[in-house]
Amino acid sequence: MAKMYTPEMEKIAKKKARRNKPIKSTPAYEAWKRFKRNKTAIVGLVVVCILILIALFANFIAPYDYQAQDYMAMMQEPSSAHLFGTDQFGRDIFSRCIYGARYSLFIALFCTIAALLSGGLLGIIAGYCGGIVDTVIMRIMDVFQSIPMIMMAMCIVSVLGNGIPQLVAAVMFASMPTMARNNRAAILRVRGCDYIESSEAIGVSQMKMIFKHMIPNAAGVMIIYFVGFLAVSIMMMSSMSYIGVGLAAPTPEWGLILNDGKAYLTSSPYMMFFPALMIMITCFAFNLLGDGLRDAFDPKSK
Amino acid sequence: MAENLLEIKNLKKYFSTPRGSLHAVDNVSLNIEKGKTVGVVGESGCGKSTLGKTLMRLHEPTSGEIIFKGEDIASMPIKEFKKKYRADIQMIFQDPYASLDPRMNVLQLVEEPIKTNNKGMSKADVTAKAKEMMELVGLAKRLEGAYPHELDGGRRQRIGIARALSLNPEFIVCDEPVSALDVSIQAQILNLLQDLQQERGLTYMFITHDMSVVKHISDDIVVMYLGQMIEKCPADEIFKNTIHPYSQALLSAIPIPDVHVKHERMVLKGELTSPIDPKPCCRFAARCPYATEQCFMEEPKLREMKPNHIVACHHAEDFINDK
Amino acid sequence: MDENILDIEDLVVHYETEDEVVEAVNNIRLTMKKGEILGLVGETGAGKTTTALAIMGLLPEKVGAVKQGKIKFEGENLLEKSKKEMRAVRGKKISMIFQDPMTALNPVKTVGDQIAEVVLLHNKCSKVEALKRAQEMLALVGIVPERYKDYPHQFSGGMKQRIVIAIALACEPDLLIADEPTTALDVTIQAQILDMMRALQKKNNTSTILITHDLGVVAEMCDHCAVMYAGEIVEYGTLEEIFDNPKHPYTKALYKSIPSLDKDVERLHVIPGMVCDPSDLPSHCSFYDRCDEKCDAGKLHDPEAYAVKDGHVVKCFRCQQREGEEE
Repeated sequence: MAKMYTPEMEKIAKKKARRNKPIKSTPAYEAWKRFKRNKTAIVGLVVVCILILIALFANFIAPYDYQAQDYMAMMQEPSSAHLFGTDQFGRDIFSRCIYGARYSLFIALFCTIAALLSGGLLGIIAGYCGGIVDTVIMRIMDVFQSIPMIMMAMCIVSVLGNGIPQLVAAVMFASMPTMARNNRAAILRVRGCDYIESSEAIGVSQMKMIFKHMIPNAAGVMIIYFVGFLAVSIMMMSSMSYIGVGLAAPTPEWGLILNDGKAYLTSSPYMMFFPALMIMITCFAFNLLGDGLRDAFDPKSK
Repeated sequence: MAENLLEIKNLKKYFSTPRGSLHAVDNVSLNIEKGKTVGVVGESGCGKSTLGKTLMRLHEPTSGEIIFKGEDIASMPIKEFKKKYRADIQMIFQDPYASLDPRMNVLQLVEEPIKTNNKGMSKADVTAKAKEMMELVGLAKRLEGAYPHELDGGRRQRIGIARALSLNPEFIVCDEPVSALDVSIQAQILNLLQDLQQERGLTYMFITHDMSVVKHISDDIVVMYLGQMIEKCPADEIFKNTIHPYSQALLSAIPIPDVHVKHERMVLKGELTSPIDPKPCCRFAARCPYATEQCFMEEPKLREMKPNHIVACHHAEDFINDK
Repeated sequence: MDENILDIEDLVVHYETEDEVVEAVNNIRLTMKKGEILGLVGETGAGKTTTALAIMGLLPEKVGAVKQGKIKFEGENLLEKSKKEMRAVRGKKISMIFQDPMTALNPVKTVGDQIAEVVLLHNKCSKVEALKRAQEMLALVGIVPERYKDYPHQFSGGMKQRIVIAIALACEPDLLIADEPTTALDVTIQAQILDMMRALQKKNNTSTILITHDLGVVAEMCDHCAVMYAGEIVEYGTLEEIFDNPKHPYTKALYKSIPSLDKDVERLHVIPGMVCDPSDLPSHCSFYDRCDEKCDAGKLHDPEAYAVKDGHVVKCFRCQQREGEEE
């Protein structure tokens, strides 16, 4: 008798195939599976990757030197020779934006790492120790936080002067309180879990408890904050440069390019349009990525 | 009489809350013989879990003594306790879903206690020992690399048991180890615990709210109400000759899976009162159908009404011959 | 028959995600007469709650879907109703009590308002009348009516469950589905709630589906009982039949694995293995791997429901065979 092929049999065959697949399901893999399903997050990830590539290979991509002034081609509208047009010194805005990615992304990365190392660590200590240590650290952070972020950064720069290290310090101090708060919350949440008590019962030492149980379990949430903060840092840096307390010209930082175009807004709006677009796309991509990570690591928080 | 492995004397654990001091465990005295199982029953909030965790020094006792192998472990500095006795007193946790680190696989979870408590043991030995423990509790070899989220409740609870047992403890506090499990799995775990007890001469404190489970597994039963021990007797006795009205109510409240047994139900009014700054009276008086003026005036003491059967009730005499 | 308040025919419910298909409910048939209490027993993942949600039309959207079958409520197929029509049925004709009373109430509204809300939604009446009804309902479930102005957090767990029941009964539904209504409560409180539910049931003659994993609760409350395993009803019958004359190996094993209060047993009977993964159900009898009385037929095919007696249905080859031998 010829073998019948029914949908039922197809189902069974599929099941058998699934059963033979090895179990490979670490929590990280589960998170990745959830992340993959999220289309907007993938868009965010792709854009961020492109931006990083642009930043790394800026010198190959940019058609002109970002400082080269071409007096023959000042204030030119976007064309095939100058994709984003030129500024009042004849510099190619496209090249400046490309190099800008390098500055903006890497300084933002430094700022966020610095904030994580300072604020994050304080938050972890506060969350783990609790009691008086927690109170003292968090009240100091409260005082910090009562000053608006950008004001705080401006004050620091006006005391320390202009420059990249100063800018990093400024952004770091400004974002430290929020970083501390977030990381403290992440640690507290993990600390309340039964498995911490269970590890305590089998005699795991404090250090091991922090590094083997608490931080790995809080890491997902911490990464989410980290990515979110990259966007904030880029915004903050650009705003500071724009109002003239960030980096000094002629650094091709997006905020600075924006500032350059300010005077010509009515006659040549493209001078502001393109750097603004870059800032927007970057922040948007980081936020998409951050949201995607949140859904992936923390499926219940939705 | 067998020797006492653990003696609890006037143990108290108070928590300070904004509304006053919460008497989670209030003046509990109890002897636990080696190789026996003491069941602790009570409703949620009666302090049974706190009692277990205080024995483990996961909570610091407010006052009282816990004498383990002739030494008071309650007053000992926590560091010394951890060094000397941590491995001897272990705990199986209630919720097998929450008490395992989700980022560790089965083998790592079972290896952790061995690694922590045997510094200097080679990695291969640790793994070998962990595998031995897995086999002991009936975890298949192929599960070694699995993560807790892939396993069902029964298997997770087996990991919890393997973790506790790997330290060769003498005394295990089982904090509601089967309440989160389905009946068919519950039976597997209860049998496993019984087998392990027989093989290794373990002593259990079995905390649960389920009367039928506690009856099945225990030698002695302690009934707790609002932090206090109100009745203690051998397991058979409690079902035949319960004395304290609360224990009677607790028993009669259990739905019995039999259509022909229609027992007289004693339905209690109200719910547990607050254990915060309790007044010096019988704590059960407000819900007790037999309460008299005396019950609201003074606190009943534990009295031995029969051999090995102690009760804290002013009117205990009246209930003895009732049944 | 017209008396049947609920008729479930060949219901199949699947949850579909990208990687797997969870076969939560497979081909169940169930009839319920008016005024009866039906117990739905089974372990975690047996499909009890899914069945309830399917009746309520509350299966999680996109993921859960009824693949096949009919749910006839008072003669009308609920699955053919539009969302809007279902909304009118829910709360008014069919109510559900959820397992956890702590999360079922809105913490920022007074309990009186929450009961009145349901009343207003389904009846044409004024706010004052609705609130009056709310107070009546509170009195009915044993709470002082004056407390209608209190917020949920001012009540204890048992009281909250009473309020949840009050909400469910406010519109005098024809069918009440109680999903593990006492699982989160202590035994003494459970006894209170069960007493109250029984009294109310007698008074209003509300048909009730009681979902539970506790055979004791079923013995006390129900008229009929359906035992579920891996999304199927493996045994259905009157309470007496199921308790005194269980036929399915699973039901039998279940009784033996519960520690008993009045009998002394050294070791509990164990059902070996574990519930099969509902995303990976075998094509043979789903209980085969754990069965005490394995049969060759069960290894190859999935048994059909078979009526051992009038009104006692078992899904097992053994029973069929045995019956055949006797005759």
